Amino acid sequence: MTDKTILTVDNLALSYGSNPILKGVSMHLRRGEVVSLLGPSGSGKTTLLRAVAGLEQPHHGSVSIAGRAIYDAAAGIDIPAEKRELGLVFQSYALWPHKTVFDNVAYPLKLRKVSTNEIIQRVHAALKNLGLDHLAERYPHQLSGGQQQRVSIARALVYNPPVILLDEPLSNLDAKMREEARAWLRNLIVELQLSALVVTHDQSEAMAMSDRILLLNGGVIEQQGTPQEMYSQPQTFFVADFMGSNNVIKGRISEIRAGQACVDIGDGLRLWGQRRSDAAIGQEVSAIVRIERARLADGPGEHRAQIDLVTSMFLGDRFEYVLHAGQNLLRAWGQRQEEAGQRWLEFPPEAVWVF
Amino acid sequence: MLQTLPRRAVVTLLALSVFFPLGLVIYQSVLSGPFFMKTATLSLESFAFIFDDPDFWSATKNTLIVAVGMSAIAIPLGAILAFIMVRTDLPGRRWLETPILIPIFVSPVVLGFGYVVSLGPVGFFSVWFESIFGGVPWNIYSLASIVVIAGLTHVPHVYLYSSSALRNLGSDVEEAARLSGASPFRVARDVSIPMVSPALLYVGVLVFFLGFEIFGLPLILGDPEGHLVLTTYLYKLTNKLGTPSYHLMAAVATCIVAITFPLVLLQRFLLKSAQRYVSMKGKSARQRPLMLGPWKWLALGLIVAWLFITVVVPVSGIALRSVVSSWGQGVNLLEVLTLDHFHAVFEESTMIRSIVNSILIGTIGGAVAVGGYLLIGLATHRQPDGLSRFVDYVILTPRAIPGLMAGLAVFWVFLFVPFLAPLRSTLFSVWFAYAVVWLAYGMRLIQSALMQVGPELEEAGRLVGASRSRVSRDITVPLIRNGLLGSWLLIFMIFEREYSTGVYLLSPGTEVIGAQIVSLWASGAVDVVAALSLINMLLVGVGLALALRFGVKLHD
Repeated sequence: MTDKTILTVDNLALSYGSNPILKGVSMHLRRGEVVSLLGPSGSGKTTLLRAVAGLEQPHHGSVSIAGRAIYDAAAGIDIPAEKRELGLVFQSYALWPHKTVFDNVAYPLKLRKVSTNEIIQRVHAALKNLGLDHLAERYPHQLSGGQQQRVSIARALVYNPPVILLDEPLSNLDAKMREEARAWLRNLIVELQLSALVVTHDQSEAMAMSDRILLLNGGVIEQQGTPQEMYSQPQTFFVADFMGSNNVIKGRISEIRAGQACVDIGDGLRLWGQRRSDAAIGQEVSAIVRIERARLADGPGEHRAQIDLVTSMFLGDRFEYVLHAGQNLLRAWGQRQEEAGQRWLEFPPEAVWVF
Repeated sequence: MLQTLPRRAVVTLLALSVFFPLGLVIYQSVLSGPFFMKTATLSLESFAFIFDDPDFWSATKNTLIVAVGMSAIAIPLGAILAFIMVRTDLPGRRWLETPILIPIFVSPVVLGFGYVVSLGPVGFFSVWFESIFGGVPWNIYSLASIVVIAGLTHVPHVYLYSSSALRNLGSDVEEAARLSGASPFRVARDVSIPMVSPALLYVGVLVFFLGFEIFGLPLILGDPEGHLVLTTYLYKLTNKLGTPSYHLMAAVATCIVAITFPLVLLQRFLLKSAQRYVSMKGKSARQRPLMLGPWKWLALGLIVAWLFITVVVPVSGIALRSVVSSWGQGVNLLEVLTLDHFHAVFEESTMIRSIVNSILIGTIGGAVAVGGYLLIGLATHRQPDGLSRFVDYVILTPRAIPGLMAGLAVFWVFLFVPFLAPLRSTLFSVWFAYAVVWLAYGMRLIQSALMQVGPELEEAGRLVGASRSRVSRDITVPLIRNGLLGSWLLIFMIFEREYSTGVYLLSPGTEVIGAQIVSLWASGAVDVVAALSLINMLLVGVGLALALRFGVKLHD
């Protein structure tokens, strides 16, 4: 670990009763970096965040912040949540309904025995940063969802925690606001040079907001890397399938040649792709191709197959075609409305992953 | 959320308050004489004595008859009442909600007295009935009357639990039955009520063991014809041998607890399975009331008739009896009207003291009790560890102890522990007994208030640097202010209503209205009892009015 590492989680394990939730997770977060914990529900991403915050009780492993151990099962260290000096933005924002916006944000400073004058000045500075200065005397229920979220962020930032934890920060906003808030949040993090750990179940949110993504599955890290790596070089079927919008095609390997495999998908259709597992000839496999990489072509050619187009759906910025190939329902995107009938579909072999 | 040390102190104090009096009773039951006598030795002769006493066995038999009989009456009626109130379009449901719960807040000893003056041999309703029909078909002093009245007055308990279960049931299942051709009452009988049967089983056990604890009704209604139940048998033992027969009373008390405690544990077990049942169903579709059509008049008539018998008859009897000098066949109401009984009450210092004490114990005592319950609640709040599970069981224990016996046990504690002795004849001893007896009830109020606070609000406090106790003080407690106010008002009403717990603690300085009525009843002072009963009901009424004014939910 370099000295730029601010948060280190080492082999952390946690169970509810006899049900293991985290099965030995290791990760690190560098200063000024945004890392997303991504995964389906039940993958342990929120539990990992809460364990770092000190709200869940792991039974193995260690967590340290800026070189200071805050949890270490072997050494018997378990700093209580209030002494960890972390900032957490809750999914529900968790604003205290009996305190005004100002009092909500001032409370952490009051606990730290900051002088009244300094509290006033720092709270107003924090609120101003988030564009909330005019709302200081309001109560949380008088604010919109987006404003509540900003108050919650202001409260988590006002005491300058070394790391800020965000639990599904955008999930309580409606779909339209979410994209704006995503840009706003990314901008804020970059501008204030925050180190942030973000939990999300939405892969596009994770890719947009973070420098690195950790994809969790069943309590272990399936793969980690930059958004580009995660998207274009998935190591397992789970990662390939979780990221992006995909066609998953079931079939049997009929030929293997130099890192490539040919999959027989029924109806006499075959397609070539990158061989990503050690499946042998004759074995059942899944081929994955991103929807945006499957392309309608004008006529026959290499890596093209004649497939039955059932219908076109208009999505606003593009059309989505629904196609039948053997047992599989495939989708592809294009700019034109297409009539039903036989079409040629091209699968570039470098974009097809065979697992 | 307290830190470890105060947390342990709270739990230790709680465990001592519950187990020391109970332990003392059990210890006393295996002594040959009162524990303060040097000659007392370990022996089982007290059990031998009561098991030899035919009165004990007849009391046991009567108790069983009462418990079974009142369950058989209260459970079906309560379930039907809940169905009508929760699932149908009965006219005036909103207005009926509060009157239905009144029997819970009226002291049973007051109720019993009300029935005597209304339906007794020369009661108001009896006299009127007789003048019209030439005779009355009922005998208020029979065992059957006790069973019926106990059954009718426990209907609200069943109503409370089954109505909350019914609220969690989707209405689609009922509509399906309706469309298949079932009448509203067939729907209730064949679909809705079977689906809440776990809750009914739970409350059935509750009513059954309440049957072992009732004291006021059999004391007043059972006495003239000598129908004893276990609690009244225990009460009569006080003077049976001339000398203080503590060891015998302890033996009877131990027998009662031996029956009720397993029932309490059974109830807890049932509650867990009932919750699982309900959560499995989930809160499905939005509820639509079932159209009763012409049936609604029958339903309304049923509820009004029940309210008439359980509320109007006894309450109006007491109100009337407190302002007449005498009553009987051929007496003209206008000639006997008087306020003398109230003058008598307000002229005697013990009466005034009992009223002042009752108000003090309800207001200040109630507030202190709520404070204590709050400390216990915070000590276990969101800390699912061994200590919290232990507290769960400690809280349950007083439910198994009838108030009369708890008062006796507390009396002994204050007799037995030297440094507590000076407090024996102060209101503190009465307050302590009340607070322990109503521990389970109060904790349920506090815990449900605490559960309303979202866990993330407290976690947010921890994250920004507040310790557990700081979070309790700055976040949890301010957020449940309304819940605490509600609990205080409910505890006020319950403390005003309480009567049996103060019976053995009654001494100059510790008079409370409930215990005073019990003791005056024995001396036959009907006039004063009537006036005190009315005052008692007024106090409860004030609490009820305040509670409604502040929008306190009378049940969960």
